[in-house]
Amino acid sequence: MVEIRELCFESEMKERASLLASRGLSVPDGNGRVLGAFDSDRLVGTASLIRSVVQGVAVDDSFEGEGLAASLISRVISLAVSEGVGHLFLFTKPSEALSFSRLGFREIVSVQGASLLEWGSPGLDKYLVGLSEMATGRDSSAVVVNCNPFTLGHRWLLERASSSSSHLFVLVVEEDRSIFPFEDRLHLVSSGLSDLDNVTVIPSGPYVISSATFPTYFTKGGEAESVHAALDIRLFGTKIAPALGVSRRFVGSEPNCRLTALYNETMKTDLPPLGVAVEELSRIESGGVPISASRVRALLESGEMDSIRPLVPDVTWNYLLNRYKENEE
Amino acid sequence: MEFSSAAVAGTLESSDVMVSFSPSDEVLEVEVESIVMKQRGRRIREVVDELVSQVGLDKGVLRVQDKGALECTLRARINTVLDRAGAR
Repeated sequence: MVEIRELCFESEMKERASLLASRGLSVPDGNGRVLGAFDSDRLVGTASLIRSVVQGVAVDDSFEGEGLAASLISRVISLAVSEGVGHLFLFTKPSEALSFSRLGFREIVSVQGASLLEWGSPGLDKYLVGLSEMATGRDSSAVVVNCNPFTLGHRWLLERASSSSSHLFVLVVEEDRSIFPFEDRLHLVSSGLSDLDNVTVIPSGPYVISSATFPTYFTKGGEAESVHAALDIRLFGTKIAPALGVSRRFVGSEPNCRLTALYNETMKTDLPPLGVAVEELSRIESGGVPISASRVRALLESGEMDSIRPLVPDVTWNYLLNRYKENEE
Repeated sequence: MEFSSAAVAGTLESSDVMVSFSPSDEVLEVEVESIVMKQRGRRIREVVDELVSQVGLDKGVLRVQDKGALECTLRARINTVLDRAGAR
C-alpha cells in the first residue's frame, strides 16, 4: 500500500535527492511543497510544486507503470487548486512529455533537452487570442524589458526602437521577483513612454521570461540556463511574435550579466530562422559607464541618491524619492 | 449562484475521473477527455450538462479527465466540484 504525504524531514529530502538523481534529475530550486510516495517506509515517488510550476517528478523503477505518477500528479493538482492556483506548468524531458500528456498536460513548446507543458485554464491559446486582439495589422517590433527600475538607458533604447518601427510592443516582465513590484515597473514604463504614439506597453504574461518559461532567470545559476533560454525564445518566435504580428525584436547589449548575455546570444541564433529579426542596440553611457538598472540599484543600496539623478527620467526619479521617503518614515 | 473559486475533485488514477473548474467571465466551456471517448464521450457530456444546468452554472471552464470511471463516480465528482466552486 503506497501512501502519499508531504515531505518535511531532512532525511526524507535526502532520499528524494537520490531518487531524483537516479532518474537523471537535479533537485529543483526554490521553496515549495514537496510530496513523497512511500511504500511502507521507503520513498518510491516524488513530485513538487513551486509556485505554479510542477517540478522534480520521479518514480522508482519498480513502481513504473503502476499509476503512481498519476496518483502523485493528482495530489499536486489538488494541492495547487486548494491554494487557488488553477493553472500549472510542468518541465520535463521531451521523452517524458507523452506520459504527462496522458495526464492532461498540454505541450506548449519543446526544444532539445526540454519540454514545457501546462494544465488548466486560461491556457496558451486564450493568451494568444488576447495578444492577437492587440495586433495592429502593421509589421511590428517588440522588446521585452524588466526595467527594475526604468532608466534613461531604457528610455533611449525604446525611443530608438520606436523611431525605426511602424509599431512597437514593449512587454514588461510580469513575474514579481524583482526589487521593484510589477505594478510600479509597468507604471514607470507606461508614463515614461507616453509621448511615443506608436508604442503599446503590455504585461509580458506567464509565457515570456516567467518562472515557467525561464526559471533560471530568477534563480541565477544551474546547468539548465541555456535550455531554458532556448525554450523561452522558441515560444516567443513560434507563438507570441506571430500573434502580435512581430517580425523584429530589439535587445540592449549586455556587458555585465552573463545570463542575459547568454540569452541575447541564443536569441540571435534561434529567432531569425523563425522569421523574427534581432537587432542589438548598444547602451548609452554616463561617465564612461553604461546606464543600467543594476547600477541604479547599487547606488540606491549605498544611499547615493545624487548620483542616481542623471541616470533616470523624471518619472522614475519622483517615484524613487517617494519610495525613499516612505522607507525613512 | 456565484461560482467563483477554482476547484477540483477526483484523481487521474485508473477507473477514476478528475473534474476541475476554473472561474471566468466567459460562457461556460466544457472540455471532456476520456480513455473511452468513443464509447462514453457522449454520455459523459450528457451527465455534465444535466448537473451543470441543475445548479445554473453558465460561466467558467469545466474540465473532465476520465480514466474510465463509473457513472456514479462521475456524478459524485461533478457534484463535489460544483459544491467546492460555488458559495452554497
